Amino acid sequence: MWKSVVAAIALLAIGGSAFAASAVNKDAQTRTLIVTEGGGKTELALAAGETVEFCPNGCFVTLPNGDLEALTGSETVEISGGVARVK
Amino acid sequence: MIFRLLRLILVVIVAAAAQPSPGAMAQAIGHGSAQLIADQTKVIQDLTAKTDGLEKKISDPGEDDAGLVDIRLQLEDISRAALNSALAFRSRLNDINGRINVLGPPPAQGQQEPAVVANERAALTTEKAQINAVVASAQNLSIRISGVVDRIAAMRSELFRSVLTKRYELTDALSPQAFSDAHEQFTGLYKAVASWLSFAFKFKFQAVLAATLMALALAAVLLIGGRRLFGRIFEPNPSVEDPSYLSRLSVAFWSTLLPTAALGVFLASAVFFFNYYNVLRGDIGTFLNALLAVIGMVFCVNRLTNAALEPRLPNWRLIPVESGPARWLVGLATAMALVLGLNYFLSVVNERMGSPLSLTIARSFVATIIVGVILILMGLLRPFKARDGSWRPWPAWLRFIAVGLGLFTIAATLLGYIGLALFVSFQVVVTGTILVTAYIGFLSARAIGEEGGFADTSVGRWLSAKSSYEDTALDQLGLVVSIAINLMIVLVFLPLILLMWGFQPGDIEAWAYKLATGVTVGSVTISVLGILTGIVVFVIGYFLTRWFQGWLDGSVMARGKVDTGVRNSIRLAVGYAGVALAGLVGISAAGIDLSNLALVAGALSLGIGFGLQNVVSNFVSGLILLAERPFKVGDWIVAGDISGTVKKISVRATEIETFQRQSVILPNSNLINNAVGNWTHRNKLGRVDIKVGVAYGSDVKRAHALLLDIARTHPMVLKNPEPFVLFANFGPAALEFEIRVFVADVMNGSTVQNDIRFAIFDTFEDEHIEIPSTPRAVVETKKHEAWPIDDDKMEAEFAERERLEAEAAAEQARLAKTKRRGRKPDPG
Repeated sequence: MWKSVVAAIALLAIGGSAFAASAVNKDAQTRTLIVTEGGGKTELALAAGETVEFCPNGCFVTLPNGDLEALTGSETVEISGGVARVK
Repeated sequence: MIFRLLRLILVVIVAAAAQPSPGAMAQAIGHGSAQLIADQTKVIQDLTAKTDGLEKKISDPGEDDAGLVDIRLQLEDISRAALNSALAFRSRLNDINGRINVLGPPPAQGQQEPAVVANERAALTTEKAQINAVVASAQNLSIRISGVVDRIAAMRSELFRSVLTKRYELTDALSPQAFSDAHEQFTGLYKAVASWLSFAFKFKFQAVLAATLMALALAAVLLIGGRRLFGRIFEPNPSVEDPSYLSRLSVAFWSTLLPTAALGVFLASAVFFFNYYNVLRGDIGTFLNALLAVIGMVFCVNRLTNAALEPRLPNWRLIPVESGPARWLVGLATAMALVLGLNYFLSVVNERMGSPLSLTIARSFVATIIVGVILILMGLLRPFKARDGSWRPWPAWLRFIAVGLGLFTIAATLLGYIGLALFVSFQVVVTGTILVTAYIGFLSARAIGEEGGFADTSVGRWLSAKSSYEDTALDQLGLVVSIAINLMIVLVFLPLILLMWGFQPGDIEAWAYKLATGVTVGSVTISVLGILTGIVVFVIGYFLTRWFQGWLDGSVMARGKVDTGVRNSIRLAVGYAGVALAGLVGISAAGIDLSNLALVAGALSLGIGFGLQNVVSNFVSGLILLAERPFKVGDWIVAGDISGTVKKISVRATEIETFQRQSVILPNSNLINNAVGNWTHRNKLGRVDIKVGVAYGSDVKRAHALLLDIARTHPMVLKNPEPFVLFANFGPAALEFEIRVFVADVMNGSTVQNDIRFAIFDTFEDEHIEIPSTPRAVVETKKHEAWPIDDDKMEAEFAERERLEAEAAAEQARLAKTKRRGRKPDPG
């Protein structure tokens, strides 16, 4: 029984993507977000229709229109028509 | 130290309970944007100034490890604050973007737009640029803090390494100069203490007396109160022959904890009252603090080893060593603690009196060498006795570790790595003490978890007396308790050991925070908190469902006089729905994106479709059974050649109990796909047929009337539909009648049949109507005598037969003599 409990927890842990912000690209083109997290800037390229989890502990994001936004790590960034919207 | 630990635990709990909430966001609504920008610019400027101050503090060469960790924690707070301040702009930024969107794209070159629109566009763009500038400054601050935090980590590891790898010149330390230095120091210390003592006696005698008495009184209250409360389990009772492991453990635990706590209270309150009466002067306070800490530590180690080894009471010993070695071990452990404690006290004295480095080195040299020797002695001790009386050493791994650590300490000291040697010996004592305590805790958890272990504890006895728990339930409870104790030990002692190994509370705090909010490995985030939340939500949902089910069934439906079968169906359906809902809510509370699993589920569903075809079909059939209700629990059904009462309808199969009390588990799909007869579907009305034969030549009309009369007069036979007697057949041996009667409850059919048959038999006998039986040829079979099994009986029978034969022979002989002389008797 314990084995199955451990297995279930492990499965949950692997499947678990809790408390991370997610970005969805609803456009047909690739869009790029610039994420500043832990002292480094990384470019996050989102292919068409892709959803990506990032930034579990808070970060800054430069959106495609040049706006700079702060994220706590629980938001969803939705890109459609080249415009990003933080929900 | 204790307070830091408490704070750490508190922070972990708070971090687990609360996610950082973007409270600053609320500010933005309804405020003028200019004000908001000014506010947040100010906030970020303040934070930057704070960061500047902290960064300057790092470069300070005097900063130690704890200070660096503290700075790091402050920096992380600042970073979070910067992020929150940037969050304040989100709603305003959304508004601006929305407005710009409404205004539409800027006009192409050469075209004009109305001045109002152009002005608004310009104003919005400017405001957006300002906001972006503030957010960018927050971002820069967070990048900078990240860099500083990295630098602090590097500095800390460098600091630690330099402590461990610094090599001192022993020749200076061990020169005669050191002895004269030491002499000088002691004279200084003696003078300071003596002058304080004379001061205290001359001017503050009453205060000293009062403070000491008060501290003693407090400690006495604790000790006497503790003895009163826990006296039974506190003192080992020498008259007990074979105390259980659990009672030995609890005695060890309490006899360590209570006296140590009493001494701690005494020492702490002594310091407090001395301070209160202003008795302490100059450095004396520091010395006293250090001395009391050392006394407390040595006492604790001594109590613990005494409790675990009990040199005087072999029955109560936790570790099965012999009495002599137990005494040695207690002595050696106490000596080790004493040496290290003295070393610590002297280091405080040295620091306060500004002694030369050589003296510090000499002191540490002596202490580490002694600790190394003690370690080796402990390792070489032969604590066990073999059957033949010879002494046996520790298990090899323990022996090698002890001797190895001792040799390592001595070697490091001799080579001049005093810092390293001191670190190792300190760790051996403190970590060893913590590990031993934790190990005792683990052992007690194991003892409780064993079968019947929990029922033996006082809590278990109380529970079994006060509640209706059975032994198995108590046993399972014991298992849960033992797991909880194990978990608690890990949660308490792991941070303690980490603290001892040079990690700062801040480190552990940060780890706990990270673990709670999620550790990212690649693209996967593992969050303990999320998983725990999911599990807790599921468990709560499960119990809510059970409670709702019980309430619905017991209160609502029972009062509403709902049929039991319907009740059962509704209860089951509610149960399934509730558990499924709880599972879904739990999974989403754990933060698992179900869309990720959908992909896997899609791939697997084909395989599942083939592999679990039967199970799924049965499951769906079960749902249909619950909805359609062709039969319910308690019905008498006939499915194929199985006939019986339905006991339980569950997900996969239905349990039917035949009238011979055999439980038949019938897969639900059978019940859906095949014909099922239900005797008690709408009502329990049923027809009972009884066949009767009447001999040819009887008065048929009379027989018919009699039969009808019998059927009508039986109390259980229904008047409507009317009983009916069928003249069924001119049979080969009899005129065949059939009585058809309806009964209200078909379950009583057998009783009715019995009654009617008896009645027919009696009436026909009175009326001389014959019930013929088909004549059959009588064939006589020769029965063999069974093989006898009882020897005595067989012998007795044999003797009897012999006797009878002999008598018969004698009688015949006599008869033959008298009547037909010369004739021989029959043989056998």
